[in-house]
Amino acid sequence: MATSNQYLQASKANTWLGNTAGYSAGASMLDEMLDQSGKVRPHWAYYIQALQKLGQGEVSLRQNEIHKLLRENGVTYNVYGDPDGSSRPWQLDSVPLLLANEEWRDIELGLLERAELLNLILTDIYGPRELIRQGLLPIEMLFNHSGFLRACDKVKIPGKHQLVLYAADLARGPDNRMWVIGDRTQAPSGAGYALENRLAMSRVFPNIFRDTQVQRLDGFFQSLRHGMQEIAPQNADAPRVVVLTPGPFNETFFEHAYLASHLGYPLVQGDDLTVRDGFVWLKSLNGLQRVDVIMRRMDDVFCDPLELRDDSRLGIPGLLEVARRGNVTIANPLGSGVLESPGLLPFLPRIAEYFLGKKLRLPSAATWWCGQPKELDYVLNNLHKLVIKHICRGAMTSVFGSQLSRQQITYWRDRIRANPAFFVGQEHEVFSTAPSLVDGHLEPRQSLMRCFMVAQESGYNLMPGSLTRSATQTGDVLVSSQLGAMSKDTWIVGGTSTQQTNVTANRHSELVGSSYSSTLSSRVAENLFWVGRYAERTEGSIRLLRTTVKKLYINPDNSNVHFQHSLHTILRSLTNITNTYPGFLGDSESDNATALLQTPDGELLSLMLDEEKIGSIANNQRSLVQAGYTVRNLWSSDTWRVMDEIKSHLEQSQQLTESTLWNIQEHMDRLITALSAFSGLIMESMTRGNGWLFLDIGRRLERALLLISLLRSCFSTAQASGTEQLLMESLLETSDNLICYREHYRNSIELPSFIELLMLDKNNPRSLAYQFNRIQEHVSKMPRKQSNAQLSVEERLILEACSLLDLTNLNDLIKTTKGHVRENLDQTLSRLYYLIATLSDSITATYFKHGQLQHSLNEVRPV
Amino acid sequence: MHYKITHITKYDYTDKVSLSYSEARLMPRNCKNQQVISSTLDIEPYAADFRIREDFFGNHVAYFSMQQAHHAFTITAVSEVQLQENPAQLDFYQGYTWEAVRDLLAQQTHSTKQTADTLDARQYTLDSPLVAVTTELAEYATLSFTPSRSITGAVNDLMQRIYKDFTFDPDFTTLATPLATVLEHRRGVCQDFAHLAIGCLRSVGLAARYVSGYIETLPPAGEAKLIGADASHAWFSVYVPEQGWIDFDPTNNQMPNTQHITLGWGRDYADITPLKGVIFGGQQHELDVSVHVECLME
Repeated sequence: MATSNQYLQASKANTWLGNTAGYSAGASMLDEMLDQSGKVRPHWAYYIQALQKLGQGEVSLRQNEIHKLLRENGVTYNVYGDPDGSSRPWQLDSVPLLLANEEWRDIELGLLERAELLNLILTDIYGPRELIRQGLLPIEMLFNHSGFLRACDKVKIPGKHQLVLYAADLARGPDNRMWVIGDRTQAPSGAGYALENRLAMSRVFPNIFRDTQVQRLDGFFQSLRHGMQEIAPQNADAPRVVVLTPGPFNETFFEHAYLASHLGYPLVQGDDLTVRDGFVWLKSLNGLQRVDVIMRRMDDVFCDPLELRDDSRLGIPGLLEVARRGNVTIANPLGSGVLESPGLLPFLPRIAEYFLGKKLRLPSAATWWCGQPKELDYVLNNLHKLVIKHICRGAMTSVFGSQLSRQQITYWRDRIRANPAFFVGQEHEVFSTAPSLVDGHLEPRQSLMRCFMVAQESGYNLMPGSLTRSATQTGDVLVSSQLGAMSKDTWIVGGTSTQQTNVTANRHSELVGSSYSSTLSSRVAENLFWVGRYAERTEGSIRLLRTTVKKLYINPDNSNVHFQHSLHTILRSLTNITNTYPGFLGDSESDNATALLQTPDGELLSLMLDEEKIGSIANNQRSLVQAGYTVRNLWSSDTWRVMDEIKSHLEQSQQLTESTLWNIQEHMDRLITALSAFSGLIMESMTRGNGWLFLDIGRRLERALLLISLLRSCFSTAQASGTEQLLMESLLETSDNLICYREHYRNSIELPSFIELLMLDKNNPRSLAYQFNRIQEHVSKMPRKQSNAQLSVEERLILEACSLLDLTNLNDLIKTTKGHVRENLDQTLSRLYYLIATLSDSITATYFKHGQLQHSLNEVRPV
Repeated sequence: MHYKITHITKYDYTDKVSLSYSEARLMPRNCKNQQVISSTLDIEPYAADFRIREDFFGNHVAYFSMQQAHHAFTITAVSEVQLQENPAQLDFYQGYTWEAVRDLLAQQTHSTKQTADTLDARQYTLDSPLVAVTTELAEYATLSFTPSRSITGAVNDLMQRIYKDFTFDPDFTTLATPLATVLEHRRGVCQDFAHLAIGCLRSVGLAARYVSGYIETLPPAGEAKLIGADASHAWFSVYVPEQGWIDFDPTNNQMPNTQHITLGWGRDYADITPLKGVIFGGQQHELDVSVHVECLME
């Protein structure tokens, strides 16, 4: 029996693995690492030795390293209703599960056989339905299942297999055999996490990993790519494959993005695609581009609102009809989810005899389908020791009979009796344990392997490894990522590792760069544009806020009337540029502005920290992170790390209690540094494709708009020169120009040179002229529908803005007319604002074509 | 009987529609006593993509898509069918008892007694999207399904009771009204009555399906028939071994014979919706339907 004591024994008293004691026995009879007599199994020997050599302290350090790596890479699993926010960092145990190659070969034969069998069943279910005719599958099991989609009848995909992607959950039963306890055939998730786990493990334990001679995973992903090519419709020369995701709120969105970028396929959402003329098209910046294969990570019923769920806003109307005609291949085909029914399990042995003429090598968990009288009786009488499952996965979570009260047992008996065909009872197996690293020592935890297969012409290909998940508590029997299980890498050891090309983590970034520029979807371009705008907006407003806080706290000169006036002007500008009215401007009804100007701390803090206040820094920061997450597959790992830092900043800022302006200064400094790092990485490491173009345009537009607002609210009305002096100094500091100014002009600050530097100087990267010139360059490079000689609307708008600046006479600009008003300055800035804002609208209208809203037609009912 | 049916559906949108995708089940199928002579669909504006196929239940479905901006859309279905009179009157006191049919349908697949037809009929004993069996439905049904009664007699009785107990009221229910509400308030239209009967039949273990079609209506004596005054109609059908599917119309308390034109069938309305669609844009829309059933030859 694998008890913790045995882990102690096995690891000998003189090593760190044996230095901890006092935990209770695991519930399982079997352990992966120790044999019945408590000795370490041969295929674990080398690994355990190496781990011991590393020492307890070092292993703990590396566990932290893994945690940090995954967090920085943004590996997440979204958990619905999680109070910590939508995504939770992926948990990876630093102790892998080891399997001997000889046993793996057996498992492989069994899994490939099962994949072939499920494929034959799927082909039959949506084809001749011989299984029903022959009495091998009850009609009630199949036709009652919500995954049996009648609309998908007779729809076939090219190639030898209908089931393209398949994943099986395996666990070792008390008889020492591996059991299949679940099948995933709809849109199996986890292969991407397995790969990410592997990358993290091989990076954190490079030596142990190398010397243990673990079989590599690369080959599987190559097969996956080949598999996708092979199932493309026949007339497609260079098939375009896309990965279809429900979007960033899906629990495995990280994986969708990760796989898409690893495989070099565009990641698309439903409204990135459209059906026209009997084909599926990607709405890219360069127009419609045909899509041949859709690797879907969306449940089938959401894929087509015309023929499937009409309330779905995630799908593509007409998609199923295109698939029916064979003009697009969807993998897995729509309707394949029906194979996940646990009601199928009791019928598999006879179906295997029928199709394959042999017994299955791998048994399934013992299951009784209640649609048959004898089986129903058995389940009702043994409810207390069975697991109750609905035949439709997702209809309810599994119910463990052993945990039910007498009353609950009665309830479930009635419920099953009312609709027996919907339920199965399943043997409640106790599976083998494997060692997990918990608080620096090993503990036995029940574990479960998810194995991945992909079909190729030549047959199915199994990933030599798996995503292993283990229970969170010793003795826990339920293993589910939704419930927060810990994941593990799986090492197949002892075989001759087949030589495969080395796919490094960096490879995909190069792929993304090339394939994406041509197929950048409008939605992705729009998100990048907004990443640019939000990043700049956050940075711009926080810089001004920081200046203000400094003015308030460092050397405040309250007796000086100029100081007072300049401070108030800046406070009002803050309200202006963040659009957080009434704020420091007050409203006409209540004159609370004066009071606010006297004690601005509260308003300033809420401007900084109130996530729900539209226009606040925290609010912009959140929008930035959201837009960034939606296109996370486009970021390099370094950029993602910085993005993650911005996100943690936000989380930390929300937890600040009793914050004062004084103590959030450091927080502001760090955020500014992170934002600058983000800009720097975008400038230095992002390919200059369309994606970068839209991001940078967004950034430039926003910077120009902020600067115009700021200049307008500070200088449109002339104030005493002492006040303006202080204002200019603050603004120069805000825009990082103070040093530059002093270097250039070497004298006290004067308005003409100040305006020249911030508006007209083409060499100052923070001036208006500089932003306009960059925008002009970018606009000329944007994809255009017609290549005629006429200027586009965007080109005309920016040309006017540039000319307006070019033709400006500095002295005219700043002279006051009508008393204190600088009419020329105000009008020029107002016109420029209009031009740039219109340019932004025009880009939105031209490039981010929002399809019109989707509706369902009202139906006429017969009377 | 030789009929010509003209069924026009028109949608008017308050705003431009840029793209539209539809499925129409408006072309009649051949069946026991019905021969389709011709059937055409005319779509305005031009449908860039159009294809006809058979669905899971063997009904004709037209898929079409309009890809140019439009503010209105009209689909006109014109069909001619020939109906043969059903010669034999049903004997409501002879033949299979309803229990015998129930037991035959309930046998698991491995029994060899089931014919292909009976096996196929079994799918119509199961719950469907709009019709799920409840104890209330079962209670209502029991009064008709007394021990050892012949199946046709029992179903005929159920039809008569629905006709008697329920009030035809087009304003009370909508497409979304659940069956429970119809049963509670005893009001509805043909679709509700068909669903109700189907639910009752399934509650006692029988196979029932929903039939979509038209009925020839006759003007009051001395008046001319108004064009477009007819409507889509629906009734139900029950499976009887050897005899096949037998239709009943609870709205009119009659067994469809030569006045009921069948478009197609399914488990319930959701399987055989005459026209559905997804559009982009359009905002609000108004909808106008006209059906004209014309008897060309007695």
